[in-house]
Amino acid sequence: MSLTAGVGESRTLAAVPPILEMRDIAKRFGATQALEAVSLTLRPGEVHALLGENGAGKSTLIKIMTGVYQPDRGEILLAGKPITIGSAAEAQRHGIAAIYQEPLLFPDLNVAENIFISHQGRGAVTNWRRMFREAEEILAALGVSLDVRSPARGLTLAAQQSVEIAKAISLNVRVLIMDEPTASLSAHEVAQLFKLVRDLRDKGVAILFVSHRMEEVFEIADTVTVFRDGRLISTRPRAEVTPQIAIADMVGREVGLLKPRPPVAAGDLLLSVRDLCRERVFQNVSFDLRRGEVLGFAGLIGAGRTDIGLALFGIEPATSGTIVLNGQNLAIHSPRQAMANGIAYLSEDRRQLGLSLPMSVAANISLPVLSRFLNRLGLIRTSQENETAEGYRRRLAIRTPSVDLPVAKLSGGNQQKVMLSKWLNTHPSLLILDEPTRGIDVGAKAEVHAMIGELAAEGIGIMMISSDMPEVLAMSDRILVMREGRQMAIFSREEVTQEKIMTAAMGQALVHEGVPA
Amino acid sequence: MTALSRLKSWEGLLLALLLVILFFNVTDSPFFLGVGNIVNLFQLSIEKIIVALIMTLIIISGEIDLSVASVMGLAACVMAWLFQMGTPFPLALLAAVASGAVAGLFNGFWIAYVGLPSLAVTLAGLIGYRGIARILVEDRAIGGYPEWFNTLGQQPTFGPLTLSIVIFFVLLILVVVVLHRSALGRLIYVIGNSPNAARYSGVRVKRVKMALFVASGIISAIAGVLYAARLGSVRGDMAQGFELDIITIVLLGGVSIFGGSGNLVGVGLSILVILNLRNGMGLANITGNTQTSVIGALLIVSVLLPNMAQLIRNKWRGSET
Amino acid sequence: MNWLQRRVRPEQIRELSLLLLIVVAVIIFGSLIDGYYTSRTFNRIASSVAIITVVAAGQTLVVLTRNIDLSVGSIVGCTAYFTGSLIAANNGLPPILAALVAIALGTLMGSINGVLVAWGRVPSIIVTLGSLAIYRGILIEYSGAKTVTTDSLPAWLVDLPQNALFTIGGLEFRTMVVLAIVVVIIFQLATSLLSFFRRFYAIGSNPEAASLIGLPAQRMIFTSFVLSGALSGLAGFLFLARFGNITVEAGRGLELQVVAAVVVGGVNIFGGSGTIFGAMLGGVMIGTLEQSLFRLGISEFWRDAILGLLILLAVASDAVILNRLRALWARSDLKLIDKTAALPGAASGTSSR
Repeated sequence: MSLTAGVGESRTLAAVPPILEMRDIAKRFGATQALEAVSLTLRPGEVHALLGENGAGKSTLIKIMTGVYQPDRGEILLAGKPITIGSAAEAQRHGIAAIYQEPLLFPDLNVAENIFISHQGRGAVTNWRRMFREAEEILAALGVSLDVRSPARGLTLAAQQSVEIAKAISLNVRVLIMDEPTASLSAHEVAQLFKLVRDLRDKGVAILFVSHRMEEVFEIADTVTVFRDGRLISTRPRAEVTPQIAIADMVGREVGLLKPRPPVAAGDLLLSVRDLCRERVFQNVSFDLRRGEVLGFAGLIGAGRTDIGLALFGIEPATSGTIVLNGQNLAIHSPRQAMANGIAYLSEDRRQLGLSLPMSVAANISLPVLSRFLNRLGLIRTSQENETAEGYRRRLAIRTPSVDLPVAKLSGGNQQKVMLSKWLNTHPSLLILDEPTRGIDVGAKAEVHAMIGELAAEGIGIMMISSDMPEVLAMSDRILVMREGRQMAIFSREEVTQEKIMTAAMGQALVHEGVPA
Repeated sequence: MTALSRLKSWEGLLLALLLVILFFNVTDSPFFLGVGNIVNLFQLSIEKIIVALIMTLIIISGEIDLSVASVMGLAACVMAWLFQMGTPFPLALLAAVASGAVAGLFNGFWIAYVGLPSLAVTLAGLIGYRGIARILVEDRAIGGYPEWFNTLGQQPTFGPLTLSIVIFFVLLILVVVVLHRSALGRLIYVIGNSPNAARYSGVRVKRVKMALFVASGIISAIAGVLYAARLGSVRGDMAQGFELDIITIVLLGGVSIFGGSGNLVGVGLSILVILNLRNGMGLANITGNTQTSVIGALLIVSVLLPNMAQLIRNKWRGSET
Repeated sequence: MNWLQRRVRPEQIRELSLLLLIVVAVIIFGSLIDGYYTSRTFNRIASSVAIITVVAAGQTLVVLTRNIDLSVGSIVGCTAYFTGSLIAANNGLPPILAALVAIALGTLMGSINGVLVAWGRVPSIIVTLGSLAIYRGILIEYSGAKTVTTDSLPAWLVDLPQNALFTIGGLEFRTMVVLAIVVVIIFQLATSLLSFFRRFYAIGSNPEAASLIGLPAQRMIFTSFVLSGALSGLAGFLFLARFGNITVEAGRGLELQVVAAVVVGGVNIFGGSGTIFGAMLGGVMIGTLEQSLFRLGISEFWRDAILGLLILLAVASDAVILNRLRALWARSDLKLIDKTAALPGAASGTSSR
């Protein structure tokens, strides 16, 4: 096979008829318009990169293309003919396949079987020899050497992705969607993957490539499309885009949508973290936090921000580094210990980790400090529990007819307020907020923001992990940017811009002296 | 939200079922509602319903204990064996209860601290504890216990009530208070509903699970000893297969096999339904084995019915939109 | 090490060590018991293992799909009894037809379980705990607690267990044992060759991915229960032949031995991995222990205690040791990729195992 199309070569694609056209696609989830009037055209032999911040609508589009979601509006054309994609299996029959960051293999089946599992018409009896040989041939053609007899369980992520690609090829795929396939790969593995991608492109496969790594996009893509807030902002040939232009498109919303939080005079030093590491997750994170200060954590999903929160809260303890809280050197091993030291962590996953949805509002609020609500016999003083919950209901304006109601019956915004109440009730001195306003409506969001301001004014130190750029900009006194487990920069409120954050988060040339050596 | 409304209607259904059974039983035999018959009703299954109480807590916490009947047998056999060896009887009783605690500790260790599935661990326990019980007494029937022991098991001691019945009601009150009023009960629900949210809230999940399995071991052991007192003699296969009835009582009471939901009102009603059903079938000359079949069918139906109702509701809702 | 790792997988090490354990056990028992290495010992162990193995083959399929079938003991009892009374009433019934009746009855009972689990969405532990009681109750009710006796059965059936199909050395291979071996071979081949049977592994291994590529999970789960029922029916027929006298208690508690055999044999209780051959080894291990302890004069009651411990150890070692092994293997695969990555296009060795 040929490896002709190099990096710099310009390709004329407009002449090639499109293989897959998405026309005027719209999709709505509850209050959120995930996609609005999106039209995207994929051509054979083209690598089409899709860029956008978290929540820009990329995943929704992919799920529509693979039959997981049905669009509310719009049409899909395959080689000029309108089609519907009702299921993943149907997408596969149309020759559309997707490879995700986490491959979906069968861990107990061997490599060859994983490649051929969804093949129809290979006969009822498996000819293992033939299957192994064919699998080896496909992998060899990809330039990958794998033991096709070994179960998928033991394979590295890179190897699993090779298997997914082999699977796609064996199915004569016409459109291959790659959703952040490089997120967990080393540089060496990425280079290998790109070789595969180029080979596929040269064979006439249309590739939709989603990645957060700017340098990769500009290495591999022929066309670059940018999404923002569920809309398609721009589609340009690569030659006409620079990383700066793409970033501007991605963040292009009017800054000042959110009123900046009035600055609070920061108090004494509360927390001092030095060289905090957790093997293979994050490395050498160092920062200080004062009482009354909001330290924003910006970065892309998977950059290791949540993991820092989990380490400080003792869920997944750090493997090295020091944590000094209130002048005390701490080795935090369990949530209980973290709580005893005045640390609270609001999980990003409200439904699974943050709240127990079938339980009442009051029961959720009292859970971490249940012992405070017990009488001498060890029984729960329900009246006191309800009183406390009522207090938070008034303070945070939680809209629920009663604090006895299961949390599941509340709206997302009110659930978020219950979770916030639950942790305020532990009277923390350090509050870690992980995506505090994800998936809640504008009104509730403003209320949560006001609350964060109040808490800071009370002297609580706040670490706010957020992928919502305007939120980070408006709420934070300082902003720490992470990328792939590494601390890239800490910006002060005065100097920070969206572009600076995005540039640091996407691994572009570092522009600030605040980067630790 | 559906879980709550379903629970309410589930208890209503149980109550209706209970009334129907009572009606048939009363028309069948005019003595049915006599104090003697009611005491007898409880006395005949008393050990099972004692264990059903702790099983309720375990299933709500999202686990299961299949080994309870074997622990009952083990405790009784430990007592019988020690007694036969000449150990003072009170000491033998104490050792019997201790053996239950050890069995529970063993189960709990593997489940809570090693993280093995309770289904597999307690299945091994079901087989293994029964085996130990059999090693101790082999195929003998050991009797001849002090007179007071047999009397305690068989004769009314508190007015018309036997000791076992009193223990049951004391335990019932205790379990109601623990489950619905205490911190432990709250944690049991949270762990059953959202084990991860519990961990993220600093709940010591392992400790709670350990406590439950130890409690299950101890209560099963007490039930086993009471059973021995009622029968007056101990055999290796004592209480074999009781786990079926016990689990059926709990699930029929509206406790979800997946954990997190259910309450003791439902389980209480379910106890009454099953006792009266058994009694009624007995009055109608239906054999014990057929009764067990009916219980087995009830077990399946008690889970199938809500599932089907949910399915139909979804279909109906789906066709509407 | 690398050479070894390429050819032997952790799962195979698991089976090999079980085989080794059996050999060690046999050697130990041989040194303790006079005249242990005789065809008599072999025959005893083999006929006791035969019935367990046939049922365990079906149970393996069920467990692969992340379910469990606790009703097998009752199915064996029912089929043994009902087929027995049918034959007792019609002594002229052809043997094949009699066996087919047993299998058909087992299939019916298994499909009831299957429907309830697959489409009723009732957890299999509940369904089969219930049907364990129901099937046993039906048996007791309809039999009127009467017993099928050996003298009411035709000679061909009574003699079946003693019939040796062929003899190797001093070892007689009796019909029942050969039948069990045939069942193991058929299902071992099916589960390793037929794409239909490979789906049992796929569904248990990653249900999410299975539904994504459109594998019919419900139908597969139903099928596993049907096959478990059918094989239990066949086992019921063997049970009838072996014991002749069938009471309503026939097969009671067999489900525990079968589940033990499957788990000890390395079938993952969470589904997705394990082999029919492994389940057979588990059965052999249990049968050997059972018969040898009996010969040693140790109370047969030790059997259950040891069985319980074996299950626990098997589950615990799978959770702890097997995962360590897998991690070790995964690391060596990593090295393999790194090494070969420098030579793109170099296919791995194609030599067969």
